[in-house]
Amino acid sequence: MGTVPLTNGFAMEIQHLLSPDSVYSGLKASSKRQALQELAERASTVTGIPAREILETILGRERLGTTGVGQGVAIPHGRLEKINRLYGLFARLDDPIDFESIDDQPVDLIFMLLAPESAGADHLKALAKVSRLLRDRAMCDKLRGADGPGALYALLTQNPAQTNAA
Amino acid sequence: MEWIDHVILLSSGLIVLSILVGLVSTRFGAPLLLVFLILGMLAGEDGPGGIQFSNFYVAYTVGSLALAIILFDGGLRTERKDFRDVLAPAATLSSVGVVITAAITGLAAKWFMGIGWIEGLLVGAIVASTDAAAVFFLLSVRGVRLRGRLRATLEVEAGLNDPMAVFLTITFLTILQTGAASPLDTAQTLMTHAIVQLLGGVVFGVLGGSLLLAIVNRLTLSVGLYPVLAVAGGLFVFAAAQTFGASGFLAVYLAGYVFGRRRHKATQVIERFTDGMAWLAQIAMFLILGLLITPSKLLPMLAASIGIAAVLILVARPVAGFLCLWPYKYSTREIGFISWVGLRGAVPIYLGTIPILAGIPGSQEWFSVVYMVVITSLVVQGWTIGLAGRWLHVVLPPRPAAPPRVDIDLPHDIGKDMLAYTVQPGSLAMRRSMARLPLPDEVALVSIIRDGEIRNASELEHLAPGDDVLLLTTQEHVALLDRVFGTKDGARDTAVDLLGEFVFASDTPTGAVAAMYDVKVPANQRGVPLGQFMETHLLTRPSAGKRLRLGAIELIVAETRKDRITRVAIELEPMEGSIRRFDPALIWMRSVLWLPLETRLIRLLPKVPKPVWWRR
Repeated sequence: MGTVPLTNGFAMEIQHLLSPDSVYSGLKASSKRQALQELAERASTVTGIPAREILETILGRERLGTTGVGQGVAIPHGRLEKINRLYGLFARLDDPIDFESIDDQPVDLIFMLLAPESAGADHLKALAKVSRLLRDRAMCDKLRGADGPGALYALLTQNPAQTNAA
Repeated sequence: MEWIDHVILLSSGLIVLSILVGLVSTRFGAPLLLVFLILGMLAGEDGPGGIQFSNFYVAYTVGSLALAIILFDGGLRTERKDFRDVLAPAATLSSVGVVITAAITGLAAKWFMGIGWIEGLLVGAIVASTDAAAVFFLLSVRGVRLRGRLRATLEVEAGLNDPMAVFLTITFLTILQTGAASPLDTAQTLMTHAIVQLLGGVVFGVLGGSLLLAIVNRLTLSVGLYPVLAVAGGLFVFAAAQTFGASGFLAVYLAGYVFGRRRHKATQVIERFTDGMAWLAQIAMFLILGLLITPSKLLPMLAASIGIAAVLILVARPVAGFLCLWPYKYSTREIGFISWVGLRGAVPIYLGTIPILAGIPGSQEWFSVVYMVVITSLVVQGWTIGLAGRWLHVVLPPRPAAPPRVDIDLPHDIGKDMLAYTVQPGSLAMRRSMARLPLPDEVALVSIIRDGEIRNASELEHLAPGDDVLLLTTQEHVALLDRVFGTKDGARDTAVDLLGEFVFASDTPTGAVAAMYDVKVPANQRGVPLGQFMETHLLTRPSAGKRLRLGAIELIVAETRKDRITRVAIELEPMEGSIRRFDPALIWMRSVLWLPLETRLIRLLPKVPKPVWWRR
């Protein structure tokens, strides 16, 4: 049967958001705050925005409601004034942490997404794309089994048609 | 008495043949009802069958019976939730919409056939109603799933518009016969007729349905007798209403609806029975109508018929659809689809026999025209329904297979259903611990059967695949339970449909979420908690899964407790044209002008005593 196209124009792909050096395996953190801080610091080096500012934005979003979407996945995100494009960071934690997720499961896969204030529709498209990708249980299982950042990046950016035959 | 055997032989043979040919025809997507009609024609005087049949009385009688049964079955199957949500738009479409359709098509008929005003309008009225059975049969054959509101609108419209078309036809016929002298008289006749027909139909339907329900619940009968009682009761309501000059068609549809609203001890067996009866009714009606017509007599009217059909399909229905649905915030795509699937079916052909029976001069010709209009509609619209749905993006991805669920009829009606599920591998039920199963308050876990033994729910930590779970639930949670106990195969779309991307507590300020996702909300609504915001602007009682479009995103009710929203999810990339759209200007207007009054009204609502059949 035909499927309903979800976007009309430009298809948002993960490789537009994520560069190979923004993928980390074996991140160590013992709490949600610490994990987010680690990621904020890494994001700071890429974007040039102070880590504290990024962390505040991300935590501000978490206060509205958790971005732990279930099945061990979290997608923290926020909008920053001073960046000029979408930035994604992906980390796999060595030990899962409590993220106040909607299903109360500890989280070990984190995709952080930072968007410029002006991103508008692109921000939503990108978030939806990441969310769909990580909702796929088979994908998460593969990510948990992957060997190092290179393999993680390859998995995250591979053509979805190859993974979702259904 | 040999001829009786021949009649039985012929009719049963035709029905068996119809089913077999129908089975083959669905392979290439031909509208099944058209196949029945053509089979009837082939069996008739112009075809190889050569059966001489021109008895309009028999056709009318069979038609009445068949329509009453189809409408009763349709009423039984109409979902209560959907019914309430789409009642207003569907009622507009099937009252005002039918009048508009009849008027425009009537004009075309007057012009194409060179007949008088009233005659033209009579022809317009005859072809003005749509056929639900035809529409839904075609959709299910192609595996096309529609969004809930769209489906329900078409369904309820088709249930309600037959009475309107019947009533308009009778009215114009009466005017033709009695020769209403002045326009004032005409208007008066119309009004009186309308009121008696519609009000009478509602009264007979609601009373009859409630009575039938009471009888079925009180009597203890042999199981096989319940459906017979129900169908006979439905036909009784139909005939009684007709006898008193009310609309029997409206009455029997509403009786079915009222009767089917509450689960009772015989729900299952009755629904199965009426489903079969409705099929038989469809086949019998189309066969008889096929037999009735003599194709060679149709040819002289061919050009006029096609002209009228074109006006009906391309002008009248879209105009009616747009005028009636636009005020209810249907998207252009939805209106487009509803306009395109205004499939004509047996009702117009059946109505076409009425002027003939009344002995109106020229009515044989009109009948031929009506006949061909219906065939044109079946061929053109019927064949392209799936295409139209996909082209307009109103179809949903195919639903994952339903979990193995068994409905159990309880001996007494307690307003809840007993369901049994077999837990599927990979289902949500299996992945979560017993304590964290997402079961609403109104759902009670009755027992768990594992390896043929009853287990206590408190002793088990997890469900295992193959466990049978018995639950007591209200009807509205069945869909949720299906998802909890079903497999997760292909569940990506279901999950997105159901949950959206992120979940918020209901007390999160609307403005904060709106700012986060670049959605505009009027200043006076920004401080309103998300839950309350949705409750206010949904315009219907909130239940899980209800959606509200807000700019580019959709808010989804994720969880409710006692009619209050407790959690709200958002979907960032909702499908286009699916639901009520709320732009900031509209929300601002509602919040300033209408809301203070409306909130008060909503608070009053639950205090109004509800009829027995409504409560559950």
